[in-house]
Amino acid sequence: MASIIDIKEECALQVRNFDFTYKGAPAPSLKKVTMPIAKNSVTALIGPSGCGKTTLLRSFNRMHDLYPGNKYEGEIEFEGRNILDPKEDLIHLRTKIGMIFQKPTAFPMSIFDNVAYGMRLQGIKNKTELNDRVEKALQDAALWKEVSDRLKNDANGLSGGQQQRLCIARAIAVEPEVLLFDEPTSALDPISTQGIEKLVIELKERVSIIIVTHNMQQAARVSDYTGFMYLGDLIELGHTEELFVTPKEKLTQEYITGKFG
Amino acid sequence: MTATQKRIIINKLALAFSTLSAVIALAFLFWILGVLVMKGVDALSWNIFIFEGSPPGYAESGLKHALVGQLILVGLATLIGVPLGIMAGTYLSEYGKNSKLAHTIRDISDIMMSAPSIVIGAFVYAVIVMPMGHFSAWAGAIALAIIMIPVILRTTDDMLQLVPGTLREAAFALGAPKYKVIIDIVYRGAKAGILTGVLLGIARVGGETAPLLFTSFNDNFFTTDLNEAMPSLTVTMFNYAISPYDDWQQLGWAAAFILSMFILGLNIVGRLILLAGKRK
Ligand SMILES: Nc1ncnc2c1ncn2[C@@H]1O[C@H](COP(=O)(O)OP(=O)(O)OP(=O)(O)O)[C@@H](O)[C@H]1O
Ligand SMILES: [Mg+2]
Repeated sequence: MASIIDIKEECALQVRNFDFTYKGAPAPSLKKVTMPIAKNSVTALIGPSGCGKTTLLRSFNRMHDLYPGNKYEGEIEFEGRNILDPKEDLIHLRTKIGMIFQKPTAFPMSIFDNVAYGMRLQGIKNKTELNDRVEKALQDAALWKEVSDRLKNDANGLSGGQQQRLCIARAIAVEPEVLLFDEPTSALDPISTQGIEKLVIELKERVSIIIVTHNMQQAARVSDYTGFMYLGDLIELGHTEELFVTPKEKLTQEYITGKFG
Repeated sequence: MTATQKRIIINKLALAFSTLSAVIALAFLFWILGVLVMKGVDALSWNIFIFEGSPPGYAESGLKHALVGQLILVGLATLIGVPLGIMAGTYLSEYGKNSKLAHTIRDISDIMMSAPSIVIGAFVYAVIVMPMGHFSAWAGAIALAIIMIPVILRTTDDMLQLVPGTLREAAFALGAPKYKVIIDIVYRGAKAGILTGVLLGIARVGGETAPLLFTSFNDNFFTTDLNEAMPSLTVTMFNYAISPYDDWQQLGWAAAFILSMFILGLNIVGRLILLAGKRK
């Protein structure tokens, strides 16, 4: 039986009885997941490879819809509506729920254009507004100092860690409510990783964050809540310290003590 | 002889044989280029660019008609073939993907790429020249475009597929609609490859003679009328080369030289762009 903490604060997202099945798969990859995501906090998702962390994360911005034939069942509530509704406006949803990928995804354009991309999609053309918001986003992503004198340069000239912060700047420039991170530091060196972790903690003042990580120390460092997943089930969701120190489920205990995974 | 000794000898023989083959193949290439340059440069003069065709024996004869005609034909074919080829390649890579229809289109396109170009000329003759009742630049350009499309379609399809899927996903994740993702991200990421495909496509049709023989036909005089027969470097070269007149044969060599340089240039530029794109 799963042990899911009852979150008293306001929630950014509420997952209820959520099943997800990939196209052609014989069985669902996520089974009856019920999970509150607290607002303005960091929720980490941990669990062994293949347990469904990425699958769950990509459900929040309906990324699975890019590939036909996948099936959602149940409910994910966001801003008072079920975003799994087929009538959900996905373009609007994705401006509200941003995503940072495992490998940096700098677009083949200048640093400035990368950060401005999402704003331009929303029809913002005013030069001063764009300039201001690009600067602010880069500052918030702790990248401004390093790139302020070469905004017109190709973004692919940046280092991996810088590119990842550029992607964060690009995502926060459109002022989303939620940010999804899928192992954002697994391709980065320790110093860059530290930078990203610091950012994640700072950003929660403004956005609610869900972060998938393979690194339990990372989950312990950055998150307020941690969910442990196993074979498509959410086994336990709790306050991070509690989950790591006094896990309620035997499986969680075994996983965090390194018995498997 | 031990097995090892035997293997070493076979190795050496294979190496010697393949090196020799490469040298022979390259020797022919340079021989052809050498003859072309010697004969062609000899035949070059300003008159070639100033005067149009004239009966044999006249001093004031040139290739202006064929040069301009060639540019018009290839230019028109490019205007028709490039957008169609790029759009079809985009469909395959971004929409059709691994569907049955997409694979069928890819197969048909590959077959078209190896179809003898004279067959395509015959096809255009049947569906355009015959109903119109006369040869025309349009017919020639359409024949060339049909030959060009599979080349551009294939390279576009391949080059777009090289753009990592995560880049597309990242753009979708920012709320980009699909057409924006294709134009802003995918095309931008693949632009060197697409441009190379276009240049190679143009180079592919630039030297075609057979499909023009019964579409745009030929003319010994300067014209820009797209509804009339139009001279081309290739057909002009063919006519002049098989003529018994010495001055026409000279013009034929000049045409061959200019055409080869044009196509060689396109190929080199195309490959350089691809290399530069890869190095980034
Ligand atoms: N595109 C897909 N089609 C079919 N099945 C898939 C697809 N992607 C993932 N799966 C399956 O869904 C399950 C969950 O995969 P998921 O990628 O969510 O795991 P994960 O927890 O993120 O693993 P990792 O830690 O290795 O990233 C796995 O069994 C996987 O094989
Ligand atoms: Mg994953």
